[in-house]
Amino acid sequence: MSVRNLAADKLLWETLGRWKRSSPELDRIQFLKTVPFFDRLSNRQLKSVSDIMFERTYDADESIFEEGQPGAALFLILDGKVAVEIFRETSTTRLAVLEKGAFFGEMALLDDTPRSATARALERTRTLALYRNDLRGLVHRDAKTACRIYRSLAGMIADRLRLTNELVQMKTPPGDVELG
Amino acid sequence: MERERKARRKVFYLTFVALALIVGGFLIWKLSILILPIIVGALLAIVFRPVKERFRVRWLPHQIQVLCSFAAIGLVLFFAFNTLRKHIPDEEQKLEFKVRLKYKLNEKYRQLVAKPAEEKSNALAPLIQKELGPLMDKFNQLLELSPEERDLFLRYAAGHTGKPPIQSKFVDYFRANQRTRKYVIPEEAPTGATQPTRTVAPAPVEPVAATDETSFENKLSAWMLAPLIFIFLGFDHGQIRRFFIGLVPNRYFELSLTVVDRLDDAIGKYLRGTFIECFLVGVTLTLGLILLGIPAGMAVAIGVVSGLLNAIPFVGTAIALVIGLGYALVAENIRPLIPGLNPNDLALYVVILVVITHVLDDVVFQPFVLGSAVNIHPLVVVIAIISGSLIMGLWGMLFAIPAVVVLKTAVATFFKELKDYRII
Repeated sequence: MSVRNLAADKLLWETLGRWKRSSPELDRIQFLKTVPFFDRLSNRQLKSVSDIMFERTYDADESIFEEGQPGAALFLILDGKVAVEIFRETSTTRLAVLEKGAFFGEMALLDDTPRSATARALERTRTLALYRNDLRGLVHRDAKTACRIYRSLAGMIADRLRLTNELVQMKTPPGDVELG
Repeated sequence: MERERKARRKVFYLTFVALALIVGGFLIWKLSILILPIIVGALLAIVFRPVKERFRVRWLPHQIQVLCSFAAIGLVLFFAFNTLRKHIPDEEQKLEFKVRLKYKLNEKYRQLVAKPAEEKSNALAPLIQKELGPLMDKFNQLLELSPEERDLFLRYAAGHTGKPPIQSKFVDYFRANQRTRKYVIPEEAPTGATQPTRTVAPAPVEPVAATDETSFENKLSAWMLAPLIFIFLGFDHGQIRRFFIGLVPNRYFELSLTVVDRLDDAIGKYLRGTFIECFLVGVTLTLGLILLGIPAGMAVAIGVVSGLLNAIPFVGTAIALVIGLGYALVAENIRPLIPGLNPNDLALYVVILVVITHVLDDVVFQPFVLGSAVNIHPLVVVIAIISGSLIMGLWGMLFAIPAVVVLKTAVATFFKELKDYRII
């Protein structure tokens, strides 16, 4: 069979597959493509991930998770705004305000270490949650997809570590011991 | 405005939960016949889930894979049931078994208390007679055939419904049983009067209830649900879990994920561990019975039933012993494969085999397979089994321990997570 025919067949099956999927599902897959975490995944792989995610809606001022709670899931913002804050004795420090397409709580994909900050919805917010054990389950069902996600996570953690090193180096006087 | 909305939401949730409980309670009461098949189907789906995950074929659609797995399991169960069915006694065999069991029991008892003429008084015999005599009378009463059963036996002996007649040896047993007297005759009549010899009267026969065909059909159609539940839970890609977690309020979202996951893990490990443990016990008993010379088909049948009943702690071993012993007492022409064993002591060897299997189960199988999956206090086990038997008979005993496992894991995990998530 020629390469051209193969490509045509592939396009036909993908189109048929798309008709089978509902519109919200397609929207979700399109959205996941825009998230850096999942940008290396194909449509089929994104569907595998989408199938295991939970959609949750939070009202304004509602906590998504609180500092000190065991982490269980990564959250992606479909719509709305989320503030990441930490509480120290009498004051609240806002670390970041995240909007559509951003993700947070990704360390929960590795273990149940307590959350290092509180995530609170600033307005009515729709999120997608990926539970840690569901991702582990994906390793058995679709190892390639799961590996790519873990690889993205590893890359993200490595970047943060480098950034932290640079920040420490900038603040450390010359001659002191360097991290990393 | 927001406060009003929250208040309305609370009222709505409370009303919804109350209604759901009422409707749920009503449905459970009315459809109670469906509960057992649903539980069995669901438990089978949980037990076989790793098999479904392990033998996943990428190019095959998920539903086809599930149907193939179901077909494979169904075939295995069908052949196993078919083999087992040949050894489930029919009406004639049941009567024959009763006759043989009664004859053999009395024969063994008489051998135990018989006083050889040349011996001086056997001090043990009166003691055995005193202790076992009443028990033997009770057994004889239980095993005694009713007049209708006697007629039926004699018809089978002559070749009823075109089947080959019962062996003449067993007919002789039947006649000998008719002459069996009570071993313990209460002292009563005045001196001089001759006591009429009392034969053992059969146990009072309860009037046989007319077969409730509608009830049987209902039960059969209810049990059709079990394979359907198994298939559809197999098709499930986590949609059922997602649906229920979708109902949980945001505050408890991550908590519910963790609790459900841990519960699923604990139940799955326990069920699979128990399944493997029962399988190992069944195989051990089967091999042991074959070595004792019992025909392979019968050994497998006893092994399978005993293995399944092993799921009931304490009681399972006792039932296995009764079944094995019952067969050993009536079995004839048995030649043990182990040299040096006396075929006349088959009953003793079966007891030893069951004891060895039980010890192996406690010392090797359970720790190896179940490990410390769920530690339940023995007192809790006993109470659970008794409660289960009172609620649902044999099925209740079978499901008592898994129910305790679920409850224990749920409560422990739930409270721990509620604390970790700072909800309490």
